[in-house]
Amino acid sequence: MTLNKNLRLKIAQMVKASGEGHIPSSYSIVDLIDHLYGHVLRYDAKNPCWADRDYFILSKGHGCGGFYAVLHKYGFLSDQDIADYSTSRGILGGHPDMTIVPGAEASTGSLGHGFPTAVGTALGLRIQQRPNRVFALLGDGECHEGTIWESANVAANLRLGNLCAIVDWNGSAAQLMPHDDMPAKWRAFGWKVHVIDGHSAEAMQDVFSKLEFSRDGTPNVVIARTVKGKGVSFTEGHGKWHHRIPTDEEMSAIIKELAA
Amino acid sequence: MKKLREEFADTMLEVGPSDPRLVVMVGDISHGILQPYAKACPGRYYNIGICEPTIVNMAAGLNKTGLIPVVHTIAPFITERAYEQIKLDFGYQMLSVNIVSVGGAFDYAQLGCSHHCYTDVSLVCHLKRGVVVLPGSPVEFNKLFKEIYTNGLINYFRLPEKPHGVEFSPNDIQFGRGIRVREGRDVTIAVIGTQLANALAASDRLAAQGVSAEVLYFHTIKPFDAEFLRASVTKTRHLVTVEELSAHDGLYNLCLRACVGVNGVSAVQIAIEDFVHGYGSYEELCARIGMSPDGIARTVLQLTRQAA
Repeated sequence: MTLNKNLRLKIAQMVKASGEGHIPSSYSIVDLIDHLYGHVLRYDAKNPCWADRDYFILSKGHGCGGFYAVLHKYGFLSDQDIADYSTSRGILGGHPDMTIVPGAEASTGSLGHGFPTAVGTALGLRIQQRPNRVFALLGDGECHEGTIWESANVAANLRLGNLCAIVDWNGSAAQLMPHDDMPAKWRAFGWKVHVIDGHSAEAMQDVFSKLEFSRDGTPNVVIARTVKGKGVSFTEGHGKWHHRIPTDEEMSAIIKELAA
Repeated sequence: MKKLREEFADTMLEVGPSDPRLVVMVGDISHGILQPYAKACPGRYYNIGICEPTIVNMAAGLNKTGLIPVVHTIAPFITERAYEQIKLDFGYQMLSVNIVSVGGAFDYAQLGCSHHCYTDVSLVCHLKRGVVVLPGSPVEFNKLFKEIYTNGLINYFRLPEKPHGVEFSPNDIQFGRGIRVREGRDVTIAVIGTQLANALAASDRLAAQGVSAEVLYFHTIKPFDAEFLRASVTKTRHLVTVEELSAHDGLYNLCLRACVGVNGVSAVQIAIEDFVHGYGSYEELCARIGMSPDGIARTVLQLTRQAA
């Protein structure tokens, strides 16, 4: 297991400096997003609207700290963009705005929108017989939304084999309305299901390198077991840290743990 | 006169073959009449299912890839139920869609209030990039759809079940422009959709009683032809609006805004105050809320006599 400590530190620094952000939600997905941009997606950071790019849609928009840190790492965003996070000077906020953020394919925030948009994107690409692939990252809490299951049904029935959903199965849903068996639910909706450790570079490499995409086939879902707040002992779990801004002392502790 | 829904299918068949960007998605209605389009444009017709918010979300995805989506189903489900999708996916994200509804107001009178829709026009009007067209006859839909469907905006077309029956020529129909269907001097009746027929019948009754009514018809609500309305009211000083829309936001509000600064104007609206409970025919529900030739004429007479 290889944690992205530098990315986690950047996320915490952004949130601390601006007083806004969801650290645990970002920490549970930052390894997944980093893997996608580092090893899976086809893109041109200097030309984010490149016609042949793969589409990545962060459906759980409140995890955008992880998304921004990765976009910065791979050249979509500048140091200044990160420094201006959640300020009136900047282009980055508490949820991504696709009209101003390079690399953001959807303006998410209201849960249950990004995934069905990904389904439509996959259909649009197939209609035009284009080879691009579509990836959507959604939360397990987001899977409470009806549009997730409407879309899952539609995508399977349309055989959108150019689409891959990734579920951040960090147990948020279990706090209020548990999904008793997340993999079984997706199987029942007609998807090909892969369950991995969402913090394991080896597991991610293994599953994403073997995924089969097609213009007419069963869509894939990667259900990633993750830990909300992963990487810093006291941000892990489902308590007060969901939308908490670190105090100076807490920030020092975060830095200390991530430097270890 | 051909039904609007049939004209919708015919227009898709006319436009689709020459524009490979056009994709039609429906929510399990009009499936049969769209088959000629589906056959002429393989791979560009989808009966997605009964999941209106997802259909609207998907349309955003289609548009992201460069296609021009047309989504079609019953008005309350595609606008009121899916409004957050329209607002965020197309308003916030600045994408484009063409929404074509049937069953606005109480067209599905016999099915009850679950199938009524009074706020669809208002909802889309709230979006800066929203465009609202209420074609009341086939030629209006055909001309206006072809004129605006590629404009990159959020286009909403509400198709009434019953055309108003007035035969306009294509030259009469200009996007964003009202039509003076009848000239008069005593009162302006501003009207949308099917109610044009009732307004014209009312003006006949009013003429018999010595009241000269000018009937202005608006097939485009946004942008609204405010100057056209203002010029008429400046002449008549009396305004009655007839609209199958919520009384709390619609044609009346647009007209009043247009009249700001015109002295001595008296105005009243005939609109939908609240749920129109009960069942019956479309005409029966219209009559219940004053949308009939007699109801409109009575309202006009009350207004003009009060003002006098």
